[in-house]
Amino acid sequence: MLINLRVWLKIPDAEAVTVKNTLRRRMGYESVLEELGKERLWSIEVDDSVQDPGDLARRLARELVNENKESYLASVDSVEFEDGYVPVRVGLSIEDGEAISTQNRLRNRLGFDMVRGVERSVVWKLALKSPEPEKTAEEIAERLLINPHKDFYEIMT
Amino acid sequence: MKIAVVQFPGTNCEHETLVAARSAGLSGEIFRWNRPAEELSDFDGYIIPGGFSYQDRLRAGAIASKEPVMDALREEAERGKPIIGICNGFQILVESGLLPGLGGVNVALAQNVMVSKGEIVRRGFYCAWTTLRHEAPSERCSGSFLLDKGDLVRMPLAHAEGNLVTADEKLMERLNEENQVVFRYCDERGRVEDEFPVNINGSRESIAGICNPEGNVLGLMPHPERSSFAWQLPPTDSGKCAGDMNAAGPGRRIFESMKRYIEVRGC
Repeated sequence: MLINLRVWLKIPDAEAVTVKNTLRRRMGYESVLEELGKERLWSIEVDDSVQDPGDLARRLARELVNENKESYLASVDSVEFEDGYVPVRVGLSIEDGEAISTQNRLRNRLGFDMVRGVERSVVWKLALKSPEPEKTAEEIAERLLINPHKDFYEIMT
Repeated sequence: MKIAVVQFPGTNCEHETLVAARSAGLSGEIFRWNRPAEELSDFDGYIIPGGFSYQDRLRAGAIASKEPVMDALREEAERGKPIIGICNGFQILVESGLLPGLGGVNVALAQNVMVSKGEIVRRGFYCAWTTLRHEAPSERCSGSFLLDKGDLVRMPLAHAEGNLVTADEKLMERLNEENQVVFRYCDERGRVEDEFPVNINGSRESIAGICNPEGNVLGLMPHPERSSFAWQLPPTDSGKCAGDMNAAGPGRRIFESMKRYIEVRGC
């Protein structure tokens, strides 16, 4: 069973603004990129025997989300995004030390024995005025959002 | 000989880098990223100093690499002028494709992973003195022009993302064959060991610095400007000299090399 936590800032996201400005002002996407948002995505694999995944998701969020500045949305197994933008998930293709540390912290220090694996990624939400938005999103990912020697990306359709 | 120390928002080593360059006999000024980029052609060489350009947003060096000033630097590099990227400057040069300069982005400087006896003992930010072994022949590279192969240079480092990785399995062979590996981390006797703390950040083949095929662009993670004066050396270092404030430290050789490179090449 996979518990997904989509986490986003409810205060202004300076990193997303910088990425948007770079794409629009420096890389020629002024008329193409209408809006850009960013979320963190925690994908936490847990034992299938968990009885109440909704409650477990709330308890995990208490550890992984700072609700003073962040909001989250939990889902089980699949992740769904709203219409109106192309979600591009970016993660590390090399070992992710922070994900390993988080898994160890959840299991060994915070008592979440049911956690089997943790994956961490960033979802860039690209609102594009383009005849082929997914193709444009791929281009943006490859030109800016990833370094192919350590990152991967996928369009989450 | 006038050099530009290029400053982006978040750069934080520009002043000491300029002082170190001046101590080697170069003149120069701090060049803010939003000045007209064409003014860069007035300079004989360029240094991109350390810091956290754009707060390392997205990933270290990625945003700065898209600035117009980097296009102008690329043109100056093609004219053969020397460029040295230190720490975040190295990260910017990698993200802009100027290093290792084989077309596109060829490597990444990923998060540090310190490995000892098969175990990961530490990750992320690390600050320490380190020794570099010069791997290239003398005069191969602008920033190590005066160093001989095998020379050792002490300088400190302070970074979280200096672990050189690549998905191109043939790249290391090419960098070695073409003498583009300029510095490796080593112990104080010059022995390279693929174990922390000698390989201080987990970098492939203990690489600390590389140059482009032409040799005029150098990037390195440690900070030569922080060991350009003997008084900057740690108390345990026999070369430390607290009395003479102008006595040279080992890092000055990088800036002296740049000066000599400009003299010889007539940039």
